[in-house]
Amino acid sequence: MRSPATLVVGSLLALLLAAAPAAMGHHGWSGYDSSTTLELTGVIKASGYEHPHGYVNLEVPGKTWLVVLAPPSRMERRGLPKDLLKAGTTATVMGYPNRADPNEMRAERITIEGKTVELR
Amino acid sequence: MHPAVGPAWLVWLETSALAVAMRQWTWLYPSVEIVHILGFVVLVGAAVMFDLRLLGLSPSLPVSGLERHLLRAARASTALVVPSGILMFAAHATEMADNPAFRLKLAFLAAALLNAALFHRAPFRTVASWNLYRPAPRAARAAAVVSLILWVAVITCGRLLAYL
Repeated sequence: MRSPATLVVGSLLALLLAAAPAAMGHHGWSGYDSSTTLELTGVIKASGYEHPHGYVNLEVPGKTWLVVLAPPSRMERRGLPKDLLKAGTTATVMGYPNRADPNEMRAERITIEGKTVELR
Repeated sequence: MHPAVGPAWLVWLETSALAVAMRQWTWLYPSVEIVHILGFVVLVGAAVMFDLRLLGLSPSLPVSGLERHLLRAARASTALVVPSGILMFAAHATEMADNPAFRLKLAFLAAALLNAALFHRAPFRTVASWNLYRPAPRAARAAAVVSLILWVAVITCGRLLAYL
């Protein structure tokens, strides 16, 4: 074998190229349709201050959205502690709908009690 | 988020105190991720360095000596990789079990370990005759190529877990 290295590099590239299109899911921002901006105001029914991303179940007239937020460590650092997300609180979120799940959106920012926190 | 629905043992795992702590303690999850990364840097790094030697790089380094040095590091790294991996799995057990990237990752991992075991059972036994300055036998070079591909596949699937 003159150049096993060529074979190796070729194989690895092929593998990565084959895997790349699979990197479209519900977790990264690519899973959300950023060409459609949603602005929702509603009441928090439940929330999770959890890894990998916090969330709120936000009740708006006629629907309850699952709103995906940011990792708790980031929310804490940016001034959105856990107790601001408690049930019964009114919140406004700006974000994008999930491409696959019509009840889920990912929030770019959230406003609670006049305070806006960037989540990206 | 993902409802804790699935086989009983996965639900039990996901609702265990440890899994709840993984999800809710602010710095536990990232700390465990860091341990996992440190572990697989050593594990996959050792495998890649050994594979490159088998493929003919640095022929002045004895294969048997490298094997002792690197395999020891790889074995030790499992003490970091396995517990941290189990903790991250527990935090989202039902979701992980459904994730195609996770299943694929385990399959590639099993294949990589099997490949290493086969290498030690067969071509490596004759290492004395190709320890220095001699090309490794074809079976050893094939095992090295397979190893490189499988470890890249394991890491690729591991990273894609978060995107599928």
